[in-house]
Amino acid sequence: MKVMQFSKSFLAAFVGAAFLVGCGEDEPASHPKDSDSQAFVSQYEVREYHPVLIKNATILTATGEKIENGSVLFSEGEIVAVGTDVEAPSDDNLEVIDAEGKWVTPGIIDVHSHLGVYPAPGVQSSADGNEMTAPVTADVWAEHSVWPQDPQFQLALAGGVTSLQILPGSANLVGGRGVTLKNVPGRSVMEMKFPEAPYGLKMACGENPKRVYGSKGQAPMTRMGNVAGYRKSWIAAKDYMEKWDEYESGLGNGKPPKRDLRLESLAGVLRGEILIQNHCYRADEMLVMMEIAKEFDFKVTTFHHGVEAYKIADKLAENDVCSALWSDWWGFKQEAYDMVESNVALVDKADACAVVHSDSATVIQHLNKEAAKAMTSGNRLGMDIKPEHAIKWITINAAKAIGVEEKTGSLEEGKMADIVLWDGNPFSVYTKAEKVYVDGALMFDRNNEQFQPVSDFKLTTIDTESN
Amino acid sequence: MSKLLKSLAIMALVVGAGSHNQAQAESILIKGAKVYTMTSAGTLENADVLIEDGLIRNIGEGISASGAKVVDGKGKVVTSGIFALENQIGLVEIGAIEGTRDSGTELENSGASFRVSDVFNAKSTLIPMNREGGVTRTLIKPYNGKSVFAGYGAIMDMTGDYDSLILSDVAIFATYGEHAAHLSGGSRASALHELNKSFAQAKEYAVNKEAVKRGEYRQLDYSLADLEALNRVLTKEIPLVVSVNRANDILTMLDFAKSHNISLVLSGVAEGWKVADEIAKANVPVIVDPMDNIPSSFESLGKRYENAGLLNKAGVKVMFSTSTHNADNVRQAAGNAVAYGMPYDKALAAVTSIPAKVFGGASNYGKLMPGFKAELVLWTGDPFEVTTYADTVIIDGKVQDLSSRAKRLEQRYKDISTDNNTFYRK
Repeated sequence: MKVMQFSKSFLAAFVGAAFLVGCGEDEPASHPKDSDSQAFVSQYEVREYHPVLIKNATILTATGEKIENGSVLFSEGEIVAVGTDVEAPSDDNLEVIDAEGKWVTPGIIDVHSHLGVYPAPGVQSSADGNEMTAPVTADVWAEHSVWPQDPQFQLALAGGVTSLQILPGSANLVGGRGVTLKNVPGRSVMEMKFPEAPYGLKMACGENPKRVYGSKGQAPMTRMGNVAGYRKSWIAAKDYMEKWDEYESGLGNGKPPKRDLRLESLAGVLRGEILIQNHCYRADEMLVMMEIAKEFDFKVTTFHHGVEAYKIADKLAENDVCSALWSDWWGFKQEAYDMVESNVALVDKADACAVVHSDSATVIQHLNKEAAKAMTSGNRLGMDIKPEHAIKWITINAAKAIGVEEKTGSLEEGKMADIVLWDGNPFSVYTKAEKVYVDGALMFDRNNEQFQPVSDFKLTTIDTESN
Repeated sequence: MSKLLKSLAIMALVVGAGSHNQAQAESILIKGAKVYTMTSAGTLENADVLIEDGLIRNIGEGISASGAKVVDGKGKVVTSGIFALENQIGLVEIGAIEGTRDSGTELENSGASFRVSDVFNAKSTLIPMNREGGVTRTLIKPYNGKSVFAGYGAIMDMTGDYDSLILSDVAIFATYGEHAAHLSGGSRASALHELNKSFAQAKEYAVNKEAVKRGEYRQLDYSLADLEALNRVLTKEIPLVVSVNRANDILTMLDFAKSHNISLVLSGVAEGWKVADEIAKANVPVIVDPMDNIPSSFESLGKRYENAGLLNKAGVKVMFSTSTHNADNVRQAAGNAVAYGMPYDKALAAVTSIPAKVFGGASNYGKLMPGFKAELVLWTGDPFEVTTYADTVIIDGKVQDLSSRAKRLEQRYKDISTDNNTFYRK
């Protein structure tokens, strides 16, 4: 049965993938033939921009290399060449930027953000991140809460952030689908959606769900209640998936099963097409979550916050799970008490996928410095972590944690030209992103107001600034 | 291990690290460091610092002292210890656990006189965590409960000794703007009325003290303790620190302070840059968070990173605050202020000498000069840099223990993959 099931879902995934090539993305896996599922596809379009050659820069490629006096050439949204011997093509439109003294990195990726769903100003009328009405709300999608006019997107852009995963909050056992965005202005969230990025499904361990529902006298009230809640959901999802599998393979009565948004998201995880993004602080709970994944044959792609990840770094490596962590947040609740500043470095040392994340509209603007602090903490423990390695924590590893590592996250030929030109070493507190390119188009320029986007909301203060 | 053996082992560890707070003050000589004196001597590129009997004895080149413990300062930087501001260190252990929180009260009729320094927990894990980050003293501040007044702030040292008090009752904290409106009837107008009324009654109390105490005066709206506390502000013994963000609210508070003739300090001041000249003219110091540029409420839409630099440029005395558990991150915040226009020496003063001038302690802390307290940090580099850390922290002439709960956890787990016997590692 298990083998059958595997091969069927494998086949479905394969068919789904082939289907995607022609038609875009976002095909909920559980019913690839359902035309309704074509809703909310990415309408993101690569902006037209001239080819750019940045030369004489210190380049951190996020493949482990640091190139002194290096060049990056990009054109039509893609990276064309990276290295010390990049020839300038003969193209009248080519812009050559002499970046002496400056550094180039891939665009920063934040895998844990609530921009748009908890926009600024933080008023109740636009606090749309937690559907705290039931412990399992796999049917809600963060993108339907994203307010594209949140002025915080532009602040993150000025911090070099080119892609970000927006997640629902952590009140629920299963909080709903997350969405990965390119950090570009859009009138709708669809215009910001990262093309063909897989969906994330937010889950939460520990204190939050049991507090939110326990305080209402509902399940879950305890951690064992949490686990019962997850397992019940997966049992239902497995059943749902099998019904669709039967229908699609011509078995059953020939009538499609009734669509269920909640189970559709969960079944997408079982099929390996939606990635689990799991808020989980404590080491023992992360081990339990990996056990549940084993029981129901799915994968936890990334643990978020993981304040105790360093305690189980070996297990995280063994299970190929990414850990998205802070450099130094702690003490705001019991499960965040055991913070060590070398958490990221220790996870990395065990060859597990280490990511520095923000979960904050402030920290997202400083992820380069958060990585620097995490690097320093590791080096204080006797490790020898260099910027060319630590940059991975906020670029390629982050891309892996949300399933877009084939497309972006490193400076390699053919990848999306998501690039930051820094006015110095990005591992310094004084360094700022000078130019930020998304798919090769200049989206932010610190020295040119024409390339400093402002949201509609921010116009309120533009007027008053000039008084 | 027997208890005795264990304590011997701990003692050996402590002595070995030269780091026990109860240890006798030692003679320490830091050699060849870059020293930010914050005096007219300026910044010395290659100086020695001699510490004896808890005080700085000498600073200069080529100092020798027989018997002194020598600390190599080459390539390193010495500054005064960081003065963290407006946090709840020693008043909270875990934010979400009520039993560990002592920073506010929900009691009615407890406002300006609420005093938290008496309950400061010197054994809180937050103290070594922040001391390890270079914080040597902190201004603790209560939260507002039901009153627009939060209560007294106090300056505590970070030794972890039971007697950590440096100065009590250094200021009274209050709030104005959205939060104050919420606390006092739903409008800034009612909040302002409340502030004015409380000071008016404190004045009444001051001239009719005995009658009030005998019960022969009309009933006042505040406790005697609160009225006494407000009188300490009215006599300018201590300043009133008001959290306020919107530009016009700031101006309202400047007027308020003028009309009651009190010393004012402003905190938050998200839109301070818009009225920087007025703040400077009123000679009112400010406390800002240089890492916060989020327009998080309608009263702080104008928030921006340049705030600290612009206020400084206008001539305002600027100080910095950040969070409680990560109060030591104020170093990074100071670096951010510099990145957005604050002169370096002013940013350093913002976390050392200026708060001492404003809240007390400036007679022996905040400058590095002979006769001042030896309360300083030897940093591995520029203290504002995110790759720098504290090499040596000295308070009252004693080298401080830089271990912490986190450091012990780190030691326990750093080689987890080769040894799972963690429960026996301490």
